[in-house]
Amino acid sequence: MGAGAEVLWMVPAAVFAPLAGGVAAAFSGSWPEARRRALLAVVSVVTLVLAGSVLARVTAGDDMSVRLVKMTPQVWIHLRVDALGALYGAAAAGLWLLALVYSFGYMADEHRLSRYYAFFMLSLAWTVGVAYSGNLLTFLVFYELFSILTYPLVVHEETPEALAAGTKYIVYILIGGSLVLLAIVYTYFLAGGQDIGAPLFDASVPRSQLLVVFWCFLAGFGVKAALVPLHGWVPDAHPAAPAPFSAVLSGMMVATGTFGIMRVVFNVFGVRLLAELGVMRVVAGLAAFTVVFAAVLAMHQDDIKRRLAYSTISQMGYVTLGIALLDPLAATGAIVHVANHAFMKGALFFCAGLIIKRMGVRSVSELAGAAKRMPVTAAAFALTSLAMIGTPPLAGFVSKWYLGLGILESGQVAYIAVLIGGALLAGVYLLPIVYRMYFREPAPIAAGSPLAESGSSEAPATMLMPLAAAVLLTVALGLCTTPSWSPLQIAKAAAEGFFR
Amino acid sequence: MWWQWPHWLPLAVLVPLGGGVVTPAVARGSARRAWGWAAGVSAATVAVSLALVIRVARGGPFSYAFGGWQPPYGIEFRFDEVSAFAFVVAFLGALAIVFSRQYAPHALAEPRVPYYYTLLLLDIAGLIGFSVTGDLFNMYVFMEIVSLTGYALVAISGERIAEMAAFKYLVLGAVSSLLALFGIGMLYGVTGTLNIADAASRLGAAASTMPVIVAVALLVLGFMVKAALFPLHVWLPDAHAIAPSPVSAVLSGLVVKLGLVGMLRLYGVVYASRAVDLSSLNWLLTWLGAVSIVMGAFFAIFQDDIKMMLAYSTISNIGYIVMGFGLASQYALVGAAVHIFNHALIKSALFLAAGAIIYQTGYRRLSDLRGVGRGMPLTAAALSVGAVSIVGIPPTAGFLCKWYIALGAFEAKRAAFGFALVFGALFIFVYYIRMVNAFYFQEPVHADVTHVGDPPLSMLVPVWILAALCLIMGLAGKVPLTFVAPAVSRLLGPLGG
Repeated sequence: MGAGAEVLWMVPAAVFAPLAGGVAAAFSGSWPEARRRALLAVVSVVTLVLAGSVLARVTAGDDMSVRLVKMTPQVWIHLRVDALGALYGAAAAGLWLLALVYSFGYMADEHRLSRYYAFFMLSLAWTVGVAYSGNLLTFLVFYELFSILTYPLVVHEETPEALAAGTKYIVYILIGGSLVLLAIVYTYFLAGGQDIGAPLFDASVPRSQLLVVFWCFLAGFGVKAALVPLHGWVPDAHPAAPAPFSAVLSGMMVATGTFGIMRVVFNVFGVRLLAELGVMRVVAGLAAFTVVFAAVLAMHQDDIKRRLAYSTISQMGYVTLGIALLDPLAATGAIVHVANHAFMKGALFFCAGLIIKRMGVRSVSELAGAAKRMPVTAAAFALTSLAMIGTPPLAGFVSKWYLGLGILESGQVAYIAVLIGGALLAGVYLLPIVYRMYFREPAPIAAGSPLAESGSSEAPATMLMPLAAAVLLTVALGLCTTPSWSPLQIAKAAAEGFFR
Repeated sequence: MWWQWPHWLPLAVLVPLGGGVVTPAVARGSARRAWGWAAGVSAATVAVSLALVIRVARGGPFSYAFGGWQPPYGIEFRFDEVSAFAFVVAFLGALAIVFSRQYAPHALAEPRVPYYYTLLLLDIAGLIGFSVTGDLFNMYVFMEIVSLTGYALVAISGERIAEMAAFKYLVLGAVSSLLALFGIGMLYGVTGTLNIADAASRLGAAASTMPVIVAVALLVLGFMVKAALFPLHVWLPDAHAIAPSPVSAVLSGLVVKLGLVGMLRLYGVVYASRAVDLSSLNWLLTWLGAVSIVMGAFFAIFQDDIKMMLAYSTISNIGYIVMGFGLASQYALVGAAVHIFNHALIKSALFLAAGAIIYQTGYRRLSDLRGVGRGMPLTAAALSVGAVSIVGIPPTAGFLCKWYIALGAFEAKRAAFGFALVFGALFIFVYYIRMVNAFYFQEPVHADVTHVGDPPLSMLVPVWILAALCLIMGLAGKVPLTFVAPAVSRLLGPLGG
């Protein structure tokens, strides 16, 4: 069913609203802080409302398609939203709103705020653009903008470590981006058109060329999705970046790589062709290795943000595994895990940021007794850790349940061990943090520090609010799984569409 | 309509030529009057060349016979889609002249300023003449006008190092012009005509192919020295880095393209006549293009001088275009032809922005310029837009060439060159990342750099017009791509592709 012109404007508006907000923020250097915050909050809420309405329209069956500008004589910059893109866009808008509100408190005493907010809002625009891309050229445009223009956020601290992490980030991301570019050019050459929808390739294309295109795509998106061994930038970029940006970096940006892999698997090649090619077994093996390997490495990290970064690599391995099984239930699990993971990891990074900011420690070994000083933060961390491990009835359980069903249905039963092993390892690297916070005695407080007077270093309400919202969402995402507007049902519908 | 008047075509050359010659007389020693006159003349040139572009877009290529003497006997100007380069020349030349308003009196001794504008206008006239002439010998004449004014413009600051760079440029430029002249002479010997269209029809009937092969080789060699293809690039970095910044923009954006436009003309003659098979030449050019991309980027990484970096980056970009020529497929040639235009825009944006930064701060090394992003936010932002564009990040202008030439490589069944092209671009990004880091993210070395302020409007406006075009020409890529497509189809048509 085609949507009328009266609602189609929502699609470009969801991309251009944060874009305009970012441009305004760039020139907000001399504004009073309150005005900048108000403007950005309004823009962000508007974006969320637009993305939510688009999601509602798409699940109601509307065809949301808008052509913007003809970039080459053959190809338009074209936005077209399907269920997968709509869900991804709405999750991004939600997480960005939380991270923005969190930034108001977290970044208050940081430098160069207009630059930070400008690129922060722009990165939301590019992410929504990626989600709503209607063809591969549009996808490439937003994907590259998104990869390159987040560099200023990664190096925001301007310390030598941040610059080194930024260089590593940009080199990895550019190599990945170049592979994606080549794969898209090759796809265009072989299949033309390139509108995202029904699979572009069929069996008439020679197998060798299909394999070249597939591995180019997979290596390119694999860098972004932190598929081992292409994950090197993730553990460095996260600790270097400011915490609210780490939250979206882990929650949504790494997931963009897996979103790209979904597009390749479901919309470029199609599940049938890939089943014939037989490459997905290799991808599944890589993904399973990623899950376990990154989780083992996470156990040995003392820097809390670095530990969480490895956790992201491990969790994204689950998503890739879910795609690679080529099974509708596993794909449902993969899609919904992107949304669930966004808010779980967002909440964890919010907590890590509060701990770093308020207690001045970054290493796990110094966290002893933190629950006494920051009770709310510690409780949020504990609850989200359980969700991340996959404890019912929290968000992480839902996605892992579907992944498990998919593994059984596709008959590759060995991966059950990976699924459960990964969850156990998540317990091993997350729960000791909780244990230290609650059951170890705090180190004595140095006399004269602000802590000594109040005895508490709990964060102000402005920063606790987005954290609480993210935690509530992880609970809600675990509990509300049956209404038609719940991410799980949307993911199910999207997955069924791909396997029809 | 106004654009249909036939005499616009000779005027496009005569206006800057005549206007340039009389500049010192009009200026009577005043830099300000010289600037006003030169800006007026270049604006008129833009208007005239715009008329020509409109005419060719509406009705296809057209000719002008001087004095009513029809070709092949009379002198012919011929305007086709490739000649639209003349409009880019006029437009960028005008922006460079506007930019020079405060820059020239600052960089040069006051009495030299009117002569500076004379040389710049003559350079523009020569470039326009080269792109519109339909006559082989006049190609040489206009090439010499461009080269001679180019040597003088590099040396004009009068510093010893500038004279050295100009001398190096002069020696290699003179050799390349001579090679091209020999080539033209041999073609004349074989065909008995100097008219390009006439030569194309007669070359196929040549009794022996050997002289034709030698003529083509000489011309290609001459043009490739002018275009600074690796390993014939040695004259370029010093000359482009040391010249005053508006001149660098003209030299790097426009003058090196002379060799490439010349190549397109030569291809037109040889492909149409099918006198010789160029596939081995094209094979060589594809390889040299790939090597040029990588080597240009490789040398640029080690430069600390910002203009030196930009100069080496030109070598990389020439590599893209030559690789597109060598692949000789529809997509690749369209991409190469469009990149001739787009690179001119992008590189001018970069050189003018760099010039504005040097003008304001007095520093030209990246290590001295740390923190300039704070001191000159608008200029540094324009430079960053240019950098993103030249690296080929979508949706900027530089991306189109990567997209099209990579497609062309697949079309020509030489996919490996698509890979070389895309990964060569990564090297290029490395040094632009260094630049961005220095501008924005590293601790300033000189405190004054962080509060110098943006340059006067006469510099800022041209810089931002160009930076905006870097974005617009990418998003509106359809316009140039459809514009040059007929010329490329005509060029490749005789090959039966």
